[in-house]
Amino acid sequence: MAPFRRRNVLLVLLAIAIIVPPFANYYYLFVANLVAIYVLLAIGLNILVGYTGQLAFANAAMFGIGAYATGLLQVRLGWSFWLAFPVGGVIAAAVGLAISLPALRLKGLYLALSTLAFAQATQWVFLHWDAVTFGAGGFKTPPLSFDPLPISKPLGLYYLSLLLAVVLFLFAQNLVASRVGRAFIALRDSDFAAESLGVDLLRYKALAFGVSGFYAGIAGGLNSALLNFVAPEGFDLFQMVLQKAMIVVGGLGSIVGSLLGAGIIVILLEVLREVKGLQEIVFGALLVIFVLFMRGGLVGLLKRKVRGWEEPLRLVSRRVRPKQSETSQTAARTEKADS
Amino acid sequence: MILFSYLLMSGVTTGALYALVALGLVVVNKATGVINFAQGEFFMFSGFVAWVLHVQLGLNYAVTFLFTIAIGFGLGALTDRIAFRPIAKADVVSLVLATVGIAFVLKGIARVLWGGKGDYLSFPSITSPDPITVFGLMVIPQQLAVLAGTIVILILFAAFFRLTRAGKMMQATADNAKAAVLVGIQTDKIYTLAFGTGAAIAAAAAVLTAPITLLYPDLGFPIFLKGFAAAVMGGLMSLPGAVLGGVILGVAESLAGGYIHSSVMELSPFIVIMIVLVFRPNGLFGFQTSRRV
Repeated sequence: MAPFRRRNVLLVLLAIAIIVPPFANYYYLFVANLVAIYVLLAIGLNILVGYTGQLAFANAAMFGIGAYATGLLQVRLGWSFWLAFPVGGVIAAAVGLAISLPALRLKGLYLALSTLAFAQATQWVFLHWDAVTFGAGGFKTPPLSFDPLPISKPLGLYYLSLLLAVVLFLFAQNLVASRVGRAFIALRDSDFAAESLGVDLLRYKALAFGVSGFYAGIAGGLNSALLNFVAPEGFDLFQMVLQKAMIVVGGLGSIVGSLLGAGIIVILLEVLREVKGLQEIVFGALLVIFVLFMRGGLVGLLKRKVRGWEEPLRLVSRRVRPKQSETSQTAARTEKADS
Repeated sequence: MILFSYLLMSGVTTGALYALVALGLVVVNKATGVINFAQGEFFMFSGFVAWVLHVQLGLNYAVTFLFTIAIGFGLGALTDRIAFRPIAKADVVSLVLATVGIAFVLKGIARVLWGGKGDYLSFPSITSPDPITVFGLMVIPQQLAVLAGTIVILILFAAFFRLTRAGKMMQATADNAKAAVLVGIQTDKIYTLAFGTGAAIAAAAAVLTAPITLLYPDLGFPIFLKGFAAAVMGGLMSLPGAVLGGVILGVAESLAGGYIHSSVMELSPFIVIMIVLVFRPNGLFGFQTSRRV
């Protein structure tokens, strides 16, 4: 057996993530929490860009909508975090679905422009709708408390983020290996072929946008609680490139890749925190280098070099019953595209 | 009426800027099928280069203009070599992400080199800053300079495509790359030329409009986005469509700023383009091409 197979490595990482933090200082705890949040963001974006092949640039805006919704429901309406947070995620998912409506008619570069325009419009609303969003200065969110649990806020929030990251990671793993995931991949590889095989493009594109919006919204809610502060500049273009760099470095079309990419980019971000210009150069260069030389990302490398890192899609396609010719064709395509 | 004419004039000037950026995007897209997300950063970076040449080294305006265009062309050609040629057959997502990467590298370099020198660098105007009256319209001379410059560039550009061998080869490649290879055109060189030309137009636009826009590292992306929107209005393939789209966006922006609220200015181009895309998913002047499977 391969000792470094994927499951073992992930379980060891999870064990470290559970056991170590109570002994870590606040700064490392903060960074670890940030990693969990960005894992959610990267998974959501990867489902939309890596699996479904939609050239969308609105993920930073979704992240912002989740953060603003969670924060504003608490500050303006006096809701508790425990109600505002899930509702914030649902709002982001709903917005994701709503913007997918015009996007369903658009593809490629036209989709890129419409989502960019949406992201700019969202920024504008955050900045200028002072009566609701507090404008450019942002606002503080009420402190979060984990009463009656005997746990401090940073640690509690960390475990909450970790729990959500693990649950939504597993959900995403299963989603992409399911019929739905294969439909996503089919429509990425050729939407006309997918359509002719009976994949309802409208439904699956909308679903991908909705799921991706939900992940980003949940991440936004957690981020607002982590920083106790929400302001427009957290959800700008730089944020978008950060997330794109995560999925490209980790591996487009890979859930585990999103995890790796998020971890590496967040750590780099912290190391380079002093100089914004340098951050831009490094993340831009990473994007170029990985697109040029390592199209499969780090996960592609691991798949080639380490035994036991193959994606579970392979297992699924074996399980497909022969009489479902439609799905087995899609699965065969998937396998080819993925290998 | 005075307000309207003033807004119209400044709208057309901004529109001319968007038109030039859009023109560069369309040239690259026609040849390669990629939107160069670094186009706005070429604009920003060339503006800073021009500032170094003109303000720091004291070269005169005409020499600065020529040098900056040459450097812009070099940047574009370099982008082709780094981020397009090695992966020319990759999917659009990868190609676009590579140009996004180039854009951020340029932005970071500009921030490291010039970002610390105050919020904005101002670029001296070649014309007098006082408004003058032309046919009863109040205009700022630099706006006229920008318009005149844009028109000259457009004419040169049309002439380049119609009259020169390189221009005709570019058209042939854009029309059908495989057929172009068959008749002996080296399409690789045409792609480099397209990227270079696109960036050179952005550089020319930067030198013309730097006195109006001022210079800062984050200047590029909003300009790229509006140029992109203008190009989409024209269907991403039409040069005249891109120019017209740019002027429409510029005027819409200016009128929204004047009659609704100045903060609506930044938002209006995006609303216009969203509406256009909802009703005409292939742009205002785009036409439904046969679906490629």
